[in-house]
This record gives sequence, structure tokens and C-alpha cells, in this order.
Amino acid sequence: MGRHPRSGASGLRASDLRVSGLSAAGPRSEGTSAPIARRRRPPRVPYALLAPSVAILVVALAYPLFWQVVTSMQQFGLAQQFGKPPTFVGLRNYVDLFTDPYLWTVVVRSIVFCLVNAFVTVLVGVGVAVLMKVVHAGVRIAVQVAMLLAWAMPVVAAMTVWRWLFDYRFGVVNAGLTALGLDFTGHSWLANPLSFFFVATVIVVWMSVPFVAFSAYAGLTQVPDEVLEAAALDGASGFKAFRWITMPMIAPVLSIVLLLQIIWDLRVFAQIRLLQDAGGTPSETNLLGTYIYSLGVGSGDFGAASAVSIFVLALTVALSWGYVRRLLRDEEQS
Amino acid sequence: MSASVVTRPSAVRRRRPRVGRMAASALGLLVALVWAFPVYWMINSSFMSSIRLQDGRVHLLPVNASWDNYTSVWASGSFLPALRMSLAVTFLTLAVTLVFAFLAALAISRFRFRGRRSFILAVLLIQMLPAEGLFIAQYRLIGSLHLLNTVLGVSILYIAAVVPFTVWMLRGFVAGVPIELEEAAMVDGLSRTQAFIRITFPLLAPGLVASGVYAFLQAWNEFTVALVVLQSDASKTLPIWLRSFVQASASRDTDWGQVMAASTLIAVPVIVFFLFVQGRMTSGLVSGAVKG
Amino acid sequence: MKMLRFAALGAAAALALTACSSGGGTTSSSASGTPEAATIKLWLAGGDTPDTLRDYLKTEFAKQNPGSTLVIEQQDWGDLVTKLTTALPDKANTPDVVELGNTQSSTFTNVGAFLDISDMYDELGGAKLLPSFVAAGEVDGKNYTLPYYFGSRYVFYRSDLWAAAGVTAPPATLADFNTDVAKIATADPKGIANLSGFWLGGQDWRNAISWIFANGGELAVKNGDTWTSTMSDPKTQEGLKQLQTLWTTASKAPRDATDANTYNHLNDADSVAATDGTTTTYSLDAATIMAPGWAHWSIGDLGQKDGKDVRTWNDSTFGVFPLPGVNGGYAPVFAGGSNIGISAASQHPELAKSLMKIIFSPEYQQMLGKNGLGPANADYVSSLGDDQFAKALINSALNSKLTPAAPGWAALESSKKLEEFFQKISQGADIAATAKEFDAQATPILNAKS
Repeated sequence: MGRHPRSGASGLRASDLRVSGLSAAGPRSEGTSAPIARRRRPPRVPYALLAPSVAILVVALAYPLFWQVVTSMQQFGLAQQFGKPPTFVGLRNYVDLFTDPYLWTVVVRSIVFCLVNAFVTVLVGVGVAVLMKVVHAGVRIAVQVAMLLAWAMPVVAAMTVWRWLFDYRFGVVNAGLTALGLDFTGHSWLANPLSFFFVATVIVVWMSVPFVAFSAYAGLTQVPDEVLEAAALDGASGFKAFRWITMPMIAPVLSIVLLLQIIWDLRVFAQIRLLQDAGGTPSETNLLGTYIYSLGVGSGDFGAASAVSIFVLALTVALSWGYVRRLLRDEEQS
Repeated sequence: MSASVVTRPSAVRRRRPRVGRMAASALGLLVALVWAFPVYWMINSSFMSSIRLQDGRVHLLPVNASWDNYTSVWASGSFLPALRMSLAVTFLTLAVTLVFAFLAALAISRFRFRGRRSFILAVLLIQMLPAEGLFIAQYRLIGSLHLLNTVLGVSILYIAAVVPFTVWMLRGFVAGVPIELEEAAMVDGLSRTQAFIRITFPLLAPGLVASGVYAFLQAWNEFTVALVVLQSDASKTLPIWLRSFVQASASRDTDWGQVMAASTLIAVPVIVFFLFVQGRMTSGLVSGAVKG
Repeated sequence: MKMLRFAALGAAAALALTACSSGGGTTSSSASGTPEAATIKLWLAGGDTPDTLRDYLKTEFAKQNPGSTLVIEQQDWGDLVTKLTTALPDKANTPDVVELGNTQSSTFTNVGAFLDISDMYDELGGAKLLPSFVAAGEVDGKNYTLPYYFGSRYVFYRSDLWAAAGVTAPPATLADFNTDVAKIATADPKGIANLSGFWLGGQDWRNAISWIFANGGELAVKNGDTWTSTMSDPKTQEGLKQLQTLWTTASKAPRDATDANTYNHLNDADSVAATDGTTTTYSLDAATIMAPGWAHWSIGDLGQKDGKDVRTWNDSTFGVFPLPGVNGGYAPVFAGGSNIGISAASQHPELAKSLMKIIFSPEYQQMLGKNGLGPANADYVSSLGDDQFAKALINSALNSKLTPAAPGWAALESSKKLEEFFQKISQGADIAATAKEFDAQATPILNAKS
């Protein structure tokens, strides 16, 4: 890295090897292991390990990325796609975008939706993972199978079923609530924007939890039971053991999962689009994904669509920057 | 390490109060029910005619159940070719992604080298780029490689889409395995490679499975890229095949019973895959002898 | 109709209009004589063209072009625009002949995606071809795409409910229709909860615009080179007023409902009769709906045939009629259907033209009609048959209209501003103010930059 200038011919230093402890948790034992590794790992090894991934990313993404940046500064519509030369318009697509007040409404709405969904998903996901860890084997298998089934369901099918479940006349949800004594006969869930987003959240969380739960569960199974037992012997309660031992150990996995949920939920598209087809008031329920679609791709203005995409990229970076920096700093220190 | 302690995972749990565990189990069953219900509804619906599905009633069990939806979906004759295509694309994507991403994750979590930080940053940023506006560029790219309507063409795009995430995910798992374990084994006389294969790799299994499952599902369910670069009838994947039932015709109504039967058929291979993987997850690899 | 909806959904329209100069200049119409044998590709949208018709096309094409082969690929309506956007300009992969929705047609025609086939226009049917569809494929007097088939929407009603409420004859004018359905809603002769005399979703602009058209209103008009949204026009306002009254007096549909699956509201549920024959459970909550003609396959009494659930049309319960006009006759409704044209990037334009001739031949036109698809050529419309559905289809289609051919129309549709506008009207908003606000937003979109 920048602050470790390479040292001459040997090129071998202790820092060539990343000594990874139980990163956030227990005592680190840096350095002690380096001598062993030093002899065995020439510096070109990491590059060789990275090469395949880098190669495929360059092949598949270099041109599309380049195209997107260039197109965002062009007037590029369907006519240009059919051969008319595009005109360079500098930052005009961006200016048009930022001067539209509706954009900012959508941005705020999307950020709120994204944060709520990401945190709820991760909380529920970790909860389910812990549950899988503590319950009887039979129940655990039931939970795992249910999660896997939900995860395996094709998105188109899942959205169709959810729409049926929330249908205003014959939905199971209304029928169930009415049977419980609440009068939900004919209640339209999508008509009110808040209730629309509630339904959207239920669906997004339902779809995303299995992934988080399994990732967290996989992380949990890496925590040695002996550590927990020792803690228990020392008198730590279940909650304390979880908070001070388990959590830190699964933190690396969780932080990545949370970051990814934020990234994904910020551009949630299919669920909102399909729900809008079922009901609701579009201008009050648009999020960034559907807004991009109706504004850009929907009207064939690929220049504007590219500009919005790059704006969303910048927005995501801004949203997660503190987080990303901390991740990178941890990387440096470890 | 050599004197590894074989511990049942329940060692801690045994001390939990019974009541708490009962409550947890009840909660677990409720969770299972909530997550499984929409899936049940899909299967339930797949046994009813479209007419029955729209007769305005809630049918908790299929009324006049039959395999008709399955037979007509099957009779369209396009299921098996689409299944073959999907399997080829998915397994190519899965295999390549896991190998590539695992190597990269190893590089960034076990080594320090010039460019490491840039790579991490790049992988993160790639995740953040919205893909909605890329379809023209993707078509041109695959077209110029003469790979339209091929397994390889679509797989290249899938692998590139899944690798960054998988690298991130695996990096977390690799970081979670104390390197001291390997070193201890090396002190015991194993080579680094042996130590890695015997000690670290098994501990990574859950992580590999979790990210493998992710890669599998992404490739299996993806359709926006597929419909751009797989336009010929012969190269349709299952999600595209499913869409042809949803939007079968402008002059007839969607047959929801068939859509649900087709969806169920698509989900079956995934469930089979999961059951297979599930066996690996719960076998000795996870809670077995290497802990300690 | 679905294709129109998908036109909106998918996209790509707005930019279309540069000065419309670009049309099919890229392909030279090659010298006469027998074209070189090759394989050409036909894209059909959705599964509407039955297999027998597809087989006929393949066989006939092979017969007329020895050595050449026709490959037919089916594309889904919802993905069609994405695929046309990518594949049509690509010489190596373009389909040679393409079916597409009629509102999509103007968008792609204007950017030069199709070959100029004006020279074949007369040979393929000329003035006999459905004029509004021909216009959708026309730029500066040149023909690029032609109608493939048409559909239309008309009124379905429960004659039992109408009769019970004391309305025995179908209405003769639009005003009669409006009062009749309000009367039925108020009377609710069978005590059905939430009965709509006419079930019209608040966002259902595709059916609602019939009232605007019927009163002589337009959604947008073109002056010189500029399009103007005309919701504030007095005639349009008259239609909107009638609609608002309908929503208040006759329709209990949710204000965020669209035109999807309206026929469900007309059907009885799986009725459970008690031994004394008195208990019947209705899912029915509408005496009248408006839907595309094919909805008649989904309306009827629930029964079983060979162990399968079927709905059977029952003349004593159900009826159809085309929406009546303001002064009798038929109101103009929103037309459905598709156009067909030759890709400008086609490498085999002569073979493609040969296929077009087969499609517009009397034999094929009649095959379309026999399968319930309105044939493009007026001479063969009789092949649709003469049952009540065919009559309603033909009569309503005669007067049907397409949405404005403005360059930004598809963009306006996909913005869903129409849904929101009609929803506000249905919720009782002030018509003049809401219309003014809509016009201010819609006009710039209709004239979107190119």
C-alpha cells in the first residue's frame, strides 16, 4: 500500500502477509506468524490470485461503464441508437436532473425506505439466525426449509402471490384480519402511500431475510462453542455473551451484509414497479428505481438515464462513505 | 489442534431455561410459517384452474385440484430446453464465480500488496452502479464478442455481476478464521497448503455455501440481462420462459394457474440444490472436529 | 389493450421525432428478380397468432421462395421495446419482419427503424386497410408499418341485474347509459354489498377516455409542429364531467384500480346453494363493465367440463353492446391491435416483402378473422363471424381511436400521469383546475426533445 514502499529486491516484508485475527474481537497476535509465511509467499501471489476476477470484471464492465459515462454527457435517444450521431451536451443532463424538485422528493423518500428496509432486514435476519442456533433441531430444520423455500421462489411468482395476499376484496390478509375481529373488508392496502410502503417493506424484508439469516447463521457457526461456554462459566448471561462475544465475531459478515442491503434497497425496482401496477398513486410511491425507469428508459432518453445512474452511484457512495472508510481503515490496521 | 475437542453445539444451550427454549421454538415455528406461507400459496394455486383462482374466494386447499396446469405447461415443449439452458448458465456462473472470488478473497484478506486498497474500493463501487441503464452497452459488448444467444455470453455478464459481492462475502468469512489455527497446524508439521486445506477450508465451508447459494440464485432467477442477450427462442432461460406465461397474449387473459405451475417447476431444481447443499452445511464440516 | 399498455411500460418512445427524415433509407431496394435464397426471421408479439397460422406462413413462404426458410420467434409484449431497441439496428441479428403494438409503431417508425414500403401499399390492400393503424405507421406520407390485426373494447353487462333494476333495453345514447348504470347502483335489486352499476377503476384511463372521445374531445392536438394537451378543452371537460358523475353515482371500484381483470367483477363466485336453494354467495359486485372483446372467454357461469373448471357464457345472465355515442350510434373507444413492418436493417428485404404479401393475402386475412383477430383489410372483416361478440367487436372498432401520435405520448403514458389525473377526477377534484395542472405538465412531455 501507499505507505509501505516496497523494499528492494527481496520484496518480502512482514506486512506482505495480512495477519488476520478474530478481527474485531479477541486479542490480536500480529507479527508472530509472519516469519513462517514470509518464506512461503512471494509478492506476486496476491496478484495471481486477483487476476481472474480482475480480468472478468474488465471484460464485462469496462465498456458498459465507459459507455454510461460518455452517454450521460450526450443527447442520446432512440434516434441515436438507430444511427443518428449523438450530440455532446456536457453536463446538461445533470443540470436538468438537479433542477427538478421532484427528484429531491424521491431521493429523500428512497433514502428513508432504504434505511428502514435494510435495518429491519438485518435485524430480523440476525434474529432468525440466532433462533436457528438455539431451537430444537426439528424446529431449526423447519425454519431453514421455510427460508430456503422463500428464497427459491421466482421473483415474478413471489410478487404475484403477494399481490393476491393483499388483494382488497379477496386477499388472505384482509380475510385473516377480519376473522380476528378487525373489519378489513374491502380495505385497499395500496391506496394510501404509507400503507403502500408498508406492504412493500413486508415483501422486500420477506425476500431479503433468508439471505441475511443464512449469512449470519454461517457466521454464527464459526464462533467456537468453547468461547461461549467459557463465558457462560464466567457467569455471562446469554444476552451478554451474544452482545460481547458473538456479535463482534460475526460483525465482519454483518457489516458487509448491511452495506449490501443498503445498496440494494436504495435501487429497489421490481417490487415497487409491480406493486404500482397493482395500485397506489405512482407519483407518491416512486422510488429512485422506478423514477429512473419512467424518466429515462421509459421515455427512451438514454442520456438522462445514464446521468441518473451515475447520480445514484454518487449518492450510494455518499450514503455509505463513512462506513466504507471505516471498513478500509480496519483493513489498514489489521 | 490435534487434540481437537469434539463438542456438541448444544453444550451451551443445555443450560438455557426450558421455558425460554420452548418460547424460542414456538417463535421459530411461527417464523417458518410466515416465510413458507407464500410458497404454499404458489403451490396451492398451481393445482387450481385460473377460473377457480379468480372466483373471488379464499381457497386454503385447492378446489377441484388437478395436474392440468402442469401438463399444459409441460406440453408447451419449451420447458426442457429452457431448463437445460438455465442449468448450463447457472452452473458455469456458480463454478467460475466461486473459484475466482475465493482466490480474490484470499488475496485481500491474507496478503498486503500494492493495489489491494484500490481493488477493495473498486469491488465496492461496482456494487453501487445501477444496472438499469446498461442494457444497450451490454448488448453491443456481447454482440461484438459474437456471443449473443450463447451460454458463455450471458455467463460473462452474470459472473461479473456476482463476483464483487462474492469476494466481499468470502473476505468476511476468511477474516473470521484465525490464522493461528493454520500456523499451529504448520508447527505440527503440515505444509501451508495442507494446513489451509485441512484447517481453514472446512471452516470456510459455510461461507462458501452461503455465497454459492447467492450466486446460484442470482443466475437462476435473473432475467433483465437474459432478455437482452438471449433473444432467440432456442436460448431462453427459465425466467424468460416463465414470463412468456405471464404475458402470453394480448388477446387472452393470463392463465394464473399455469404461471404458478411454471413457477413451481422453476423452484424445484433450486430446492433440490438446496437440499444437496443443506446436507453439506449440516454435516461435520460445520460443527465437526476441527473446532477448538 | 395489453399491447398499448406495454407500449407505455416499455418505452423508448419520446425522443422519436426529429424532423422525421430518417426513414428506411439504409436499405436499397434491390433489383427485381428472384432474391437469393436465405433464412428470414419473423418476430411475432405474444401468443396471439395461433399455431395454425404460423404453420401456414412457414409453408406458404417456403412454397413461394424455394430454398428459403421462414423462422418465427415469439417475443413477449412486456419485453418487446427493449428487444426492438437493441436488435432492430443490429444488421447481424435483426429480425426481418416485426409485429409491434400500434403506439410503439410511431415511435420506431420515426427513428428510421423500418423500411419504406409505400411501393407495396396498394398491393397489400391500400385504402382497404384500417386507416388509424395505417396512420400510426406513416411518416411524411410514406408507409413504414401496416396494420396486422385489430381489437376493440365494448360493454359487458349482467342482464339479470339490469332487468331486476327495471332497465330492460340496452341504452341508445351515452346519456342513457350514464343514467341507467347510476339507477342500477342505487336500486341494487339483489342487495349485493358494494354493487357498482358500472365498475370503473379510478385510474382506468383506457376505458374512461371513451367518454372524452364521445363528447368530441381530444387528449392532445397538433398545431403546426407542436402538440398541446387538451384536457382543458370544453369538449374534453364535458366528458370529464360525465365521468366524475359516473364515479360518484355508479362505480364503487377503488380509486387506484386500473382496467386489469375487470371481468371478475361480473362473474358469480362458486355459489354454495343450500338444500332449499336459497343461499347463494356472490363475488359479483358489478352490473356492468367495459373490457377488450376477448374478455368474453372469461365471463360466464362456473361449471365443469371433463372435470375441468370452465366458465360458460349464458345469454340469460350476460349481454354485450358497444358503448353508445352521445347522439346514438357508437362511441369512439380506445383501439387495440398491432402493426407489422420490415426492419430497415434487414439483409433480405425482397424475401421480407414476399412474406408481407402472404400476410396480406385474402387467405391469411380470413384466417385471422376466423381466429377472432380483426383482419387489417376491411374486405375480410366478415370472416370474424356474425355472433354478438363479432358484431360488438366490429361496431365498436369501426369508431375506435388511437392515442395521439405525439412524439412524447409513450413517455407521458409511462410517467403514469394519466392514471393520477383520472384518479383525482374520480376522487371529486375540481375538473377545471386539475385539467389545467395536467395540461401544463403534459404539453412539454408530448413535445419531448429529440
